[in-house]
Amino acid sequence: MRVRTKRVAILAPAVATVLLASACGSSDGATDSAGAGGGSITVYNAQHESLTKEWADAFTKESGIKVSLRNGDDFELANQIKQEGSASPADVFLTENSPAMTVVESAGLFTDVDAATLGQVPEAYRPSTGRWVGIAARSTVFVYNTGKLTEAQLPASIMDLADPKWKGKWGASPSGADFQAIVSAMLELKGADATQTWLEAMKDNAQAYKGNSAVMKAVNAGQLDGGVIYHYYWAGDQAKTKENSKNTKLHYFGNQDPGAFVSLSGGGVLKSSKHAQQAQQFLKFVTGKTGQQILQTGTSFEYPVGSEVAANPALKPLAELGEPTIDEAKLNGPEVVDMMTKAGIL
Amino acid sequence: MTSVLSPPPAATAARQRPRLPARGRGRRAPLGVLIAAVVVSAVSLVPLGYVLVQTLATGWDEAYALIVRPRVGELLRHTAALVACTVAGSVLIGVAAAWLVERTDLPLRRFWAVLFAVPLAVPAFVTSYGWVSLYPSIEGLRGAVLITTFAYYPFVYLPVAAVLRRLDPALEESARSLGHSPARVLARVVLPQLRTAILGGALLVGLHLLAEYGALQMIRYSTFTTAIMEQYQSTFNGAAATMLAAVLVSLCLLLLTLDVLLRGRTRYARLGSGAARPAPRVRLGPAAPVALLASAAVCGAAIGVPFVSVGRWLVLGGTGLWTAPELLPALLSSLTLGAYAAVVTAAVALPVAWLAVRHRGWGSTLLERCTYLASAMPGVVVALAFVTVAIRYARPVYQSTLLIVVAYALLFLPRAMVSLRAGIEQAPPELDEAAKALGSSPVRLFGRVTLPLIAPALAAGAALVFMAVVTELTATLLLAPTGTRTLATQFWSFSSAIDYTAAAPYALLMILLSMPVSWFLLVQSHRMAGR
Amino acid sequence: MSALTVRGVHCGYGRVPVLKGIDLDIADGGTTAIVGPSGCGKTTLLRVIAGFESPDPGTVFIGDRQVCGDGVWVPPHRRGLGYVAQDGALFPHLTVAQNIAFGLPRGQRRSRSRIAELLELVSLDPAFADRRPDQLSGGQQQRVSLARAVAPRPGLVLLDEPFSALDAGLRASTRAAVAAALAEQGVTTLLVTHDQSEALSFADQVGVMSAGRLSQVGPPRQIYEAPVDLATAAFVGDAVTLAGVLAGPLADCALGRVAVQPLGAGERDGAGTVLLRPEQIELTDPAGSDPDASDAVGIVEGVDYYGHDTMLTIRLAEPGSAVISLRHTGTDAPVSGAKVGLRVRGPGRWYPAG
Repeated sequence: MRVRTKRVAILAPAVATVLLASACGSSDGATDSAGAGGGSITVYNAQHESLTKEWADAFTKESGIKVSLRNGDDFELANQIKQEGSASPADVFLTENSPAMTVVESAGLFTDVDAATLGQVPEAYRPSTGRWVGIAARSTVFVYNTGKLTEAQLPASIMDLADPKWKGKWGASPSGADFQAIVSAMLELKGADATQTWLEAMKDNAQAYKGNSAVMKAVNAGQLDGGVIYHYYWAGDQAKTKENSKNTKLHYFGNQDPGAFVSLSGGGVLKSSKHAQQAQQFLKFVTGKTGQQILQTGTSFEYPVGSEVAANPALKPLAELGEPTIDEAKLNGPEVVDMMTKAGIL
Repeated sequence: MTSVLSPPPAATAARQRPRLPARGRGRRAPLGVLIAAVVVSAVSLVPLGYVLVQTLATGWDEAYALIVRPRVGELLRHTAALVACTVAGSVLIGVAAAWLVERTDLPLRRFWAVLFAVPLAVPAFVTSYGWVSLYPSIEGLRGAVLITTFAYYPFVYLPVAAVLRRLDPALEESARSLGHSPARVLARVVLPQLRTAILGGALLVGLHLLAEYGALQMIRYSTFTTAIMEQYQSTFNGAAATMLAAVLVSLCLLLLTLDVLLRGRTRYARLGSGAARPAPRVRLGPAAPVALLASAAVCGAAIGVPFVSVGRWLVLGGTGLWTAPELLPALLSSLTLGAYAAVVTAAVALPVAWLAVRHRGWGSTLLERCTYLASAMPGVVVALAFVTVAIRYARPVYQSTLLIVVAYALLFLPRAMVSLRAGIEQAPPELDEAAKALGSSPVRLFGRVTLPLIAPALAAGAALVFMAVVTELTATLLLAPTGTRTLATQFWSFSSAIDYTAAAPYALLMILLSMPVSWFLLVQSHRMAGR
Repeated sequence: MSALTVRGVHCGYGRVPVLKGIDLDIADGGTTAIVGPSGCGKTTLLRVIAGFESPDPGTVFIGDRQVCGDGVWVPPHRRGLGYVAQDGALFPHLTVAQNIAFGLPRGQRRSRSRIAELLELVSLDPAFADRRPDQLSGGQQQRVSLARAVAPRPGLVLLDEPFSALDAGLRASTRAAVAAALAEQGVTTLLVTHDQSEALSFADQVGVMSAGRLSQVGPPRQIYEAPVDLATAAFVGDAVTLAGVLAGPLADCALGRVAVQPLGAGERDGAGTVLLRPEQIELTDPAGSDPDASDAVGIVEGVDYYGHDTMLTIRLAEPGSAVISLRHTGTDAPVSGAKVGLRVRGPGRWYPAG
């Protein structure tokens, strides 16, 4: 930082404002010049960045439409879209779990998804309102350290983890939307009282981590006996170096237990979008054969839901998971956050 | 009835220039400067205003319910314990290190003097990353205190070392001649003179701790800032987040008030024109190896651990890390944002600093204090405030580079101000008058006389801001425009996903970018002490 | 034509008045010194003339050009004055040559010959041109400051206590160099100082200022020998004041009957004060060869030796036992307890009581 010639003290802020005004609205990384296919869209992406990037790159290659990603967390982005309202720059919203989609939908900010796209996804994996679709799925699992727990000691139901004998033995990532989705399923299945009680027990029993990877790592290292995460973290690590999961195994609760909840990642087009046609095209692509095959063959290890694409062979098949039947549209994210706040977890 | 009156001998009527108060036409502040300063100070009050307004809007009942609950009590205990222990630890290590380097005959002193200041170049979250890499199970209060003490002690070390260098040895020698042992001299003469420096450093440490997110989140030690970030992720800027922010802001104000109270009115006036002689150095003798070992331990913990970890991950990751497609854009973003912020902040600090030095009065002091207030706020609160205000009242700037640069300017204004004030004092009004008498109009005199004299201070202030922006995490996470990634945010997303190898190059780049500025700070503090 | 005309200048800060009506004229080419104790307002007067303060009310004319008063205001950078501040105020970031050239028009700034000429004027070696101010001594800085002030050939040069920050030894030589430089250029000069000997020796017109007013303006000799009141008298030199009674041309006081300067019309006999300068009082040996009945007699009570002179405290034998202090130069100072005679030479000055 060498000397720059500046104006008098009063002019200096004026120059500064001119500088800033020229930078106003500019954002690095976003390219909105018309490409070969024309146009670009802004995607508010709460899904894993690596996965969405694969989708975006493949989509741009196929259609020429450039995709600009704003990455964040489910509720962070959902609430942001809600706050932004009709002036939101987002064209498409992708999430990891469905409660965030419900937040945006109930604010009336989604537009109807193209019929063709809806046709690609089975009814079980999209809400009846047709305002958004499922784009991927993930199963709740209990990852445990094989050296610390035998199969007989594993909890039969996720509700068992409230028992005092699990004090200090398990962990999760309560500030993340993933875990909040699981709790919202519990809320839907077991009711508010049972869930609040369970959350209060969780405050005493469980250790809070930031991120499912951190939970898995802690279980692997023996700091925890077990943790509640999603399946693909384990599958992904196992496919790489196994360094964060080699001492662990997955336990699927099954039996329509809340702990067997299969969470749906959602995608929707915003009503405020100024590139609606390209946005719909993107959503169609993601739920289409090419898009879903990325889930099958790629490194994300989540379950495909559209276009009858089968899951990655390393995973336990969707049909065998024994998940509870839940109306995704009923999952109430904000209430779960309130309950967690009340329980002192957040 | 007779008297002889002799006029006073010329020698005793020393330079008695009447202290002219700042009134009269020539002394009123230029209107433009005044307006600029008022605008800057008004903007600095936005975060505080946001917290107040939101608190009021939330309603008493809900606010009460959100603030008076066990979780907040837990956060308060955690935060208070952390601040108390780390401030104590930092003061201990900082003063000890400064004393060893400035007042003893520690071997390789100049080498240690630099090493002790190096942790400034390593962001706290990288230090945390370094420790977690080596000892994954580090956690709890002990872990948090360990990491943050070694990350923040330079805030105490640097000013204390600077003061020790400037202390007049005559005071200590007088005390010795009155029969005090060296230890008593240290306790009763030296330490009290260090009071302002220690308090200032302790305040900085405390404020940084209250604002710290990355370092603590990595070891899962929950404080207000980490809780606010968690709430933010869940509810954006919901009521709970704002209430936590209100409590946090109160804690910051509490620290500021404590500092003012503890400083007291005792003046430790500089006698004469400063020490002409350097202070005598204590012979360590047989204690030398112990001192060396302790110094090595401190440096090892503070710098060794992060460097070794970063190095290890880089080696493990191989050269492929450096060709990652996100690396260059992140670097460019950091550099650009840093440069923008540095220029803007220095320019914006100029009118306020100008008023504070040239037109002293309660008005200019008030304006100055307003700007300090914003920087005492944690980045997360400032960012939350800006996001809310932008969405509601200033849509066009929402998610723009302008907004984040303004947030940076607010957060780091005092760093530029401190430097600028010292610089403006190098350009006293007497020089202005001399230039005017020689025919320079006010504008030309600014360019020919004032600017060249304050240019080094301007550059120093801008450099400080640059370094701060390059390593800033929390506000950037909230305010960065879509698609903009900085070194810090990219580092954070990788280390959150436990991908430590991918995070390593970013850590290294941040450290490298901060190094020159830390070096520069060190040199400045040497120069200010006259050696 | 007068180089500077100041009329009715009042100036204050807030409610505190500092200048309470100053009138001053300086002739072209003349040197004026304003002398007064600290806080009397002399620096303020200088700043008003320079344009750094504005009087309320008051007018200032530089030459025949009005620069302030009656709604006129010429800012300082257009007044064409030279100003030498108390501590030089050299620009630390410029070399000596650049400092001196600061006020010159752009074309002349690089003229090495002009710089050299100005350095020579203030008795500095031309090799100083490339030095920086922090490499110069206090006296050298003042000289450079003067060179800088006169470089643009101003109509008037203002000097604000320019020598007070210097060591005693340096002071005399710097003063001499400055006086010579100004005389050579023929520049009209206004100097303010608290050192009365400096004022008397440097200037051809001296003004005594006290509490915001000029009590007397005139040639140095007049100020010294015929001060307008006792305060002025005491300020410009050592004064021996004695109570006395005037009767005709003589005043009766502890030192006997002393002649006083011719009085103006209307001065009457009565009580008052006699002013004598110490150099008018001669010490004689009462038991010596030339006793004079009119000599006063006293006993030396205290002797303070200063090397170059001795301060004697003498108690007069006259009823009333007045005590006077005298400076005695020379090697034959009387000792304590000695009896001395005191003889007055030349007339004193009379100040009636009331």
